[in-house]
Amino acid sequence: MSAPAKHSDVLAAADDLRRRTLVEMTQPLERLIYLASTRDYNTGLYYHHGLAMRFSEEAACEALAGCHREAFEELVDASLEELVHELQAYLKSTRVAPNDFIVAWKGLEPYRVAVPVGIDSLSSELVFSNLKVALAILEARLMARTQPGASRHPSPVQ
Amino acid sequence: MIGLLLYLLVGIGLLVFLWMLARRKGAPVEGCGQQFVEARQALRTLQLGLLPENLIERIFDPEDFRYVTAASPGEIGELFLRERKRISLMWVRRVRCEIRNLMQFHLDYSRLHAKLSLLTEIRLALDFTFLLLACRALRLLLYLRGPYGARAMVRMLTAAAGRVCAASEKSLAFLNPPALESLRRDSAGDGAAI
Repeated sequence: MSAPAKHSDVLAAADDLRRRTLVEMTQPLERLIYLASTRDYNTGLYYHHGLAMRFSEEAACEALAGCHREAFEELVDASLEELVHELQAYLKSTRVAPNDFIVAWKGLEPYRVAVPVGIDSLSSELVFSNLKVALAILEARLMARTQPGASRHPSPVQ
Repeated sequence: MIGLLLYLLVGIGLLVFLWMLARRKGAPVEGCGQQFVEARQALRTLQLGLLPENLIERIFDPEDFRYVTAASPGEIGELFLRERKRISLMWVRRVRCEIRNLMQFHLDYSRLHAKLSLLTEIRLALDFTFLLLACRALRLLLYLRGPYGARAMVRMLTAAAGRVCAASEKSLAFLNPPALESLRRDSAGDGAAI
């Protein structure tokens, strides 16, 4: 990752990423988690093999970073109601038992490591806070709906 | 002999004083680049991080609270109010901090300028004073009445902060000439970086 990527390449890579990969993910939360997972924890750089092959590593990295920021900004703008729907849709897409998901998300708060670089701390705190409340709402709904739905797997967060 | 001792003591005292001055964490030189960079940073934080309309709308819009109270039990409503109060207090604290940074910059900057418009300076000073007082009052109101108890004050504060930002933008305009921005964009084309 040496020379900066050409602006036109970054735009083309971002467009490609949106059309081929992100189009499947309708919710910004889903996109946020996916894009954060393409980032190396040690270097902070994004990597996507297909995109890097088609364009360049630098262009792919910048395109992924841009889309990651976009997804996060959508979450900042989302109302609590929208966030609850997003969380519900994301929960469905993961195919994890709802109780396990809620326990893991409440305990590990995985969304905290999914914040793009350069985001103001107030915006990220607002999103974390809304996600915390959205999780509580979802949990209350689950508890109200059914008790025997609890998973028999050991809880990942103890 | 006594005179010699006296001179020695005065000498040692002066040396200690000089040593303390040398060790003192250097205050930035007036008009140095550091001040401009810090002011620019404060301005950017205010304009992009703290004052965007959508962010303020998100924090202080009571629609979220209505949704929570309608859709979930009481304790979640309490959790929501606690969280939103924390965020709104954080917002006002950060705004105050950045406003103080900008005010410091204007104080230093005005000393360097011979041609000052008295009217503009008075207006700016009033705006800064109002903003700092409003931040304190808003903090108290948010603390006592919660995040939805002072919406009019939030609007007033953001409008005044916007005015101060616009004035600061003019003072710092030379740091981001449009020509440099276009050069930076074009430079990526042949691999050169600015």
